[in-house]
Amino acid sequence: MDVESAAIARSSREQVLKGALVAGGAVAAGGAILGGLPGVASSAPSPAQDIRVLNLALLIEYVEAAFYAEARAKDVLSGELRDFVVVVGAHEQQHLAFLKKALGSKARAKPRLVFGKATTDPDAFLKAAVALEDTGVAAYNGQATNLTRGALAVAAKIVSVEGRHAAWIRAIAGKPPAADATDPAMTEAQALAALRSTGFLRS
Amino acid sequence: MNDLMLGEVDEDGAICEAIERVVGTRADFLRKATVGGAALLGVLALPPAGAAATAKDVDILNYALTLEYLQASFYTEAERVRALRGKARQAANVVGAVERAHVQAFRAALGSAAIARPKFNFRGVTENQRKFLRTAVAFEDLAVAAYKGQAPRLDSDALLAVAVSIHSVEARHAAWMRYLFGIVPAAEAFDEPLSRSRVTEIVSSTGFITSAGQTQRKGKPQFTG
Repeated sequence: MDVESAAIARSSREQVLKGALVAGGAVAAGGAILGGLPGVASSAPSPAQDIRVLNLALLIEYVEAAFYAEARAKDVLSGELRDFVVVVGAHEQQHLAFLKKALGSKARAKPRLVFGKATTDPDAFLKAAVALEDTGVAAYNGQATNLTRGALAVAAKIVSVEGRHAAWIRAIAGKPPAADATDPAMTEAQALAALRSTGFLRS
Repeated sequence: MNDLMLGEVDEDGAICEAIERVVGTRADFLRKATVGGAALLGVLALPPAGAAATAKDVDILNYALTLEYLQASFYTEAERVRALRGKARQAANVVGAVERAHVQAFRAALGSAAIARPKFNFRGVTENQRKFLRTAVAFEDLAVAAYKGQAPRLDSDALLAVAVSIHSVEARHAAWMRYLFGIVPAAEAFDEPLSRSRVTEIVSSTGFITSAGQTQRKGKPQFTG
């Protein structure tokens, strides 16, 4: 998702949260609130909905885990990038295993993925890794209110690690690891669109 | 101080070494981190806590506010003392601005129910870059664990959405400070929550809070440092 769309996602959430504006509060003008866009949809939490949300998380982890696994196997990236691939790849494998186990027979199928040069070319890798990790954070955050509190507590253990990954790869890339006071949230549709825009998904 | 090191230090040093080969600074990072980033730091659009929030949510917000006061004051002092250089200085400026924005947002949401800023004495840790970074790592890791411990307890969905958003930002900060300090930004696949009593115990053990903040409405302090 590009910067503008992420800003829109964030502003929409802020608009939803501003239901009753802080009376006399010092709400600064920074961060334009864009009208006309739907807020992040929130439906009543339920075990069935947890499954849907966790399957979205599973899809993201499938992509990340496979991406880093291929990068590691091809073994072209070096230095900091290689260290990132090794450490973060191991985390994503653990996330993947955890979510597959939690979902059991309800787990979605593994997607068909093609990464092209993104697992060997440093610039392409950086761009993809930043996009995937930032998308992961935004997707998890966007679903927080859709989860039962039990599932939320579990998802929370993963999302902060994705936030660490995101900041780390941004630092390596020379981008700001965390420039804003809040992290944008994405709807399921936005997260899927962001994943598809990587060009990696073939199914 | 050892109690504050919640993360795992990279033992074989390989990752440490890799991270210390610092990528060259790019001009646009500087610009975004200070000017562009600052422009985006609006006050968080929190719903008014005084009007509709439950007593539990107000209590949780005040707890969060106390941790944000701690962080904001720490980074602000570091900026004033001017002991930091290069990337550490840039990071302190950006992260400090964010923590100050968090303080402002929680105070605005809580109104007269907001706990007052405690008094801090950081005992010289802001005067040395190494000590600063080690403490920053500890504070940010602690904030992640604290938000993670409380978010599922919130009654309000609107506040929950804000809490998870701040939670991931603190995780980014934690990774950033770890990167600068030279330890692995993400030590584990799963981050664990900490209970409020454990967080309070850890903060207390630093001795950084020298007098507790008090709410304007109640006689006894919300947070005992």
